[in-house]
Formats: sequence, structure tokens, C-alpha cells
Amino acid sequence: MTTLSLDSVFRRLRDTDAWRSVVRHGTASTNRNRSLVVFENLFLHVHPVKVREKTLRFTHTYWLGGIALACALILVATGVLLMFYYHPSVPQAYRDMKELEFVVDNGLFLRNMHRWAAHLMVFATFLHMMRVFFHRAYRPPRQFNWVVGVVLLCVTLLLSYTGYLLPWDQLAFWGVSVGTNMAKEAPLVGEKARFLLLGGNIVSENALLRFYVLHCVVLPVALLLMLSVHIWRVRKDGGVQGPPEAPRGKEEVR
Amino acid sequence: MSTLPPIELVEGVDPVATPRRIALVRPDRRPAVRTTDEKYVMTFPNLILREVILFQLVVIGLALAAILFDAPLEGIANPLETPNPAKAPWYFLGLQELLHYFPPVVAGVLMPALVVIALVVIPYARINQTAGPLWEGAGPQRPLTLAAAGGAVVALFAAFRCWPIAVPTAGVLLAMFAARGGAGAGRVRRALTKVTLPEWIMVWFAIVATILTVIGTFFRGPGWSFVWPWTRAVAF
Amino acid sequence: MPDPENGPVSDAPPANPERRDFLTRLGVGACAAAAVGSGLVTLDFMKPKVLFEPSTTFRAGSPADYPDGTVRFNKEQKAYVVGCPGGVYALSAVCTHLGCITRFLSDQGVIACPCHGSRFDLEGNVVEGPAPRPLPWLDVGLDPSGLLVVDTSITVAHGKVFKA
Repeated sequence: MTTLSLDSVFRRLRDTDAWRSVVRHGTASTNRNRSLVVFENLFLHVHPVKVREKTLRFTHTYWLGGIALACALILVATGVLLMFYYHPSVPQAYRDMKELEFVVDNGLFLRNMHRWAAHLMVFATFLHMMRVFFHRAYRPPRQFNWVVGVVLLCVTLLLSYTGYLLPWDQLAFWGVSVGTNMAKEAPLVGEKARFLLLGGNIVSENALLRFYVLHCVVLPVALLLMLSVHIWRVRKDGGVQGPPEAPRGKEEVR
Repeated sequence: MSTLPPIELVEGVDPVATPRRIALVRPDRRPAVRTTDEKYVMTFPNLILREVILFQLVVIGLALAAILFDAPLEGIANPLETPNPAKAPWYFLGLQELLHYFPPVVAGVLMPALVVIALVVIPYARINQTAGPLWEGAGPQRPLTLAAAGGAVVALFAAFRCWPIAVPTAGVLLAMFAARGGAGAGRVRRALTKVTLPEWIMVWFAIVATILTVIGTFFRGPGWSFVWPWTRAVAF
Repeated sequence: MPDPENGPVSDAPPANPERRDFLTRLGVGACAAAAVGSGLVTLDFMKPKVLFEPSTTFRAGSPADYPDGTVRFNKEQKAYVVGCPGGVYALSAVCTHLGCITRFLSDQGVIACPCHGSRFDLEGNVVEGPAPRPLPWLDVGLDPSGLLVVDTSITVAHGKVFKA
């Protein structure tokens, strides 16, 4: 009789028909199966099957883009949970904050995590941009992905800013009042843009609802779409290090 | 040794249903294959495991932060009562600090728009592709041009009494000239002399943005007056 | 080799180039018109047509309540009503810089903004700070019962004092 170790349980599970219908490759630790792990998975296949060892070094990327992506995933998860307790109306929005803080189990924890992840994402995105610039990773063929990155930075800032109003406390109200008054100073379109953004002349319930829709639907969808393009282009443009360097000492065969 | 089974050849009858690709490769005309000396490793497990660990570290770090520090929540919004000082979120406090020195249309619209445009055109500007180290092959007029341009920027910001920009600008300018003289020893010297003009500009932008944001966040109190950070709490 | 299923792809010029050109323009034009049209309709949709914002007029008492140098602050309407020799005028309390609510500091006799340090004198002129314009003067009138009525949505010329 075999001992019932965790390993044997997993091995037996992997041999079932149901498991094999999901994961088609075998279980042996061969390079072929390791390739198939990446190759046959919708989410992992943004990666090539093999990567250059150089690119795994910490100092190569400082993993800053990865930190920003991790924050984005955490923000989606915590944000969706917070939505279950939030009404975008005055004064219910503020009451919901109090409810999350004092009544709902782990409500305070989730709100805290959402807030700190948002700050970290803005910070990591900025540092990521600096890293890419000083490594000259915006050079051809990766020019367009740099532009996508700038758009992503703007979307990240807008997401953070629209989320800032939602608690409807003094900090939120005046932070947004001051910010939208800056938009008013833009020539020609400023006043109209502010009216459209706020849905009125003052920061009111209309503005709260608009910021809510932008924060929970429009901007996250835009972020995830652009993020997909960004990550896909990293691979298409040659990986996090760009196209491989030509071999030294040998002439390229043409 | 086991014997291999005999190879079974299946011949396609219908060339449309069973297409065959035939390529003729002449030894002197091989198709270009990009090769490299670099060492490659399998993505799974090398990269995937690192990514999973990174995600876990971020989750752990944020969970600890969420347990230790509470997100700020002040009183309910009151349009009639402006808190003193009224601050935007931290990443806009650099802009808000600029608003202290420049009219709103300059600080709130013109400058951020210029920053975004400058960022977008970075990969399309030729200087970013071709620029070598700042002082490499420099003619006699390059230091003069640089001193004039840098001096003009410093003078412009000084004229608006915007010292948080004027002073770091002067500092970066000095560092640029120090790189010419070969200041510093060993690694620092080598690093300084290699920096290109676009990189100096980005260093300048990063330093100025950081200083403005730090001042706006920690050193501004009631009436946007200068205060020491330990005299008042900061809400993020 | 011609493919009987899919037909050959021809590089030959079209038999009727004007017709092809016209159809291309028609197609691109129709798509562009549809895109612009739906954009404009969406923009119009986003403009609120009914606003539930507070009334912009308020009563400020009788003119006799404002001897020279009196400053009264109406918190809800964000306006100052100031008495001066021979009349009364009203000033917006919203800072012309970024819309913070200013405060009248009676000990210093100035109106100060808490946000970015702008200061105004009692006529609304900028004394100090980043505010780009003086505080606007607001419309002051009398209602039938002889009480002052200020409308914060109407600005009047700087220096137009209401004489009762």
C-alpha cells in the first residue's frame, strides 16, 4: 500500500481524465512539458517559452512593472468587494464609509488595502517609467509601447483621482474642487470640460455619480485594455530587454 | 537495445487535403536566422515562479500596510467649509505647489500638458536615439550654449521667485559642468561622464517633480504657508 | 497557379476606377459621419439639462444694517456684503484662483484664501498671492419690502456700489 503523501495525491489527481481535459500536457519535468505550460495557457502565453537569463536579474527591471500590475489586480479584487457596500449618493456614500469602517467585517481592511494599493500603483508606475527611460528601452522597435505606457500612466492617475472623491469626506470634496478648478483655467474648453466632468457647476451628487461610473467602469476597462496591449507589445517587441543582441565575433549569416 | 519500429510512410493522395511544404535551401543562401550568444532559460519555472513570488510579496506588503495604517477619513463633505489647507492627492501636490508661483493657466494646464507631450515624443525625437555622452566630441561653443540655456531657465524660475525649481536647476547645471571637468572618483566619475543630454533633462525633471511634491505634501500648512512636517499630520 | 475555389487575386487596375473611388469615398464618409454623429449625440447626452443646485439669490437685511466698514459673510451663498460710504456692495467669497472659500480676517482687515495664500482687500483687489483676478462684485438690488437682495450668479462692474 502506498503512503498517502501530498505528492501522490497530486499525482493521482493529474492522472484523472477531468484534469487531463483541462491541462493537456504531461506531468514529467521535461523541457517539452515546461514549454507547453506556457504555450497552452491563454494567460501565460504572453510570455515566450524561453527567456533570456539576463532579463531575470533584479537590477534589469527592478520588477517595477510587475509591482504596478500586481497592484492593478489587487485593486480590481478589493474594489469589486467594496462596491457591494457603496452607494454613489449624498450623504449615503459617507455613511457607507462609516459602515465599512465600523460594521462590516474586514471592511476597514479592504478599504485600507484599496487605498494603499492605489498609492503604490501610482508610485510604481512612475518609477517604472523612469527605469525604462534610463535603460533606453523606448528605442526602436519599442517606441509605440512607450506611448502606450504614457497613456497608462495618465489612466492610472485619473483612476486614482476619480476614486479620491468617492468617500465624500472633506479631504475628497476639496481635493476634487481644487483639481477641477485647475481644468476650468484651460482656454476655450476648460469651463465646458469641467461642467461635463462634474455634471454641473459645483461638486455635487452629479459629480459623485459621474466619478463613480468613471472609476468603476470606464477607466478600469480602459486600463485593462491598454494594459493588455502594453504587455503583449513587450513580447512582440522582443521581451523586456528588446531584441536579442547579435553574437559577438561572428558575422550574421544572410 | 530496443529496435525502433519501422517508419511508416504515408503518401498523400490529394495534394489539397494533405499539403506538403517543400523548401529548397542552397548552402550559400541560407535563410537569415537571428542567433545570439545569450543564455536562455525556460520561462516555466524560472520566470513564472518569480512572478508568483513577486505578486505574493506585494500582497503581503499591502496587507501589512492595511493592518498597520488606516486610510484617512475626515468629516462629511461640506461645501461651505474649506479646510485649511485644502490639498489635492499627493501626486498632484507638485502641481498645487506650482500654482503657488504661477497663474493657474500656466501651472494647471500649460505645464502638465507640456510634460505629457514631452513624454509622448521621447521615443520619436532623434536626439534620444543618437545622443552620446554630453561632453563627448563637444566643440568650444557647447559649454557656452549650455550655460546660456540653463542660465535662462534658472533666471526664468527665479524671476517668478520659484526657488524650489530655480535652485535644483542650478544644481543640475553645476553637475553637468562637473561631469565635464571629470569630477568625482572611479565609478561616480565614469557614470557622470556617460550621461547624455536627454538623460540630464530627465534627471532634472525627476528631481524638480520630487522636490515640488515633497514640499507640497509635507511642508505646507494653513494658507499654504511654509511649515515643518512634524508640526502637523499629513493625510494621504 | 489559379485556385478554382477562391479565384485569382488580380493586381489588374479596376475596369471603372471612378466608380471604385466613389464607392470608397462613400463608405469611408458614411463611417466618419456615423462616428462624428454618435460622438456629438453622446456629448449632448452627457450634458445635464436639469440641475438641482441651490438658489443663487439671498436676502441680506436692510441697507441700514450696513454702516461704513461693516462686513457680513453669508456662508451658504459664499458672499460678503460690505457697507461703504454711501452704499452697499457684495463680493464673491470664492477665491478666483482655484475656488476655495475665502475668509475675512477682521483683525487685519483683509480677505484671505486658505488654499494657496491669496489675499484680497475689502474691494476684492488682489493684495498678495497667486490669484489672477480680483474677487468679482455681485449684483445687489432691493426687493419690494426694502430688503437687500444679492444674486451670486450675476457679476457687476468692479466699483459699482449699490446706493439705497
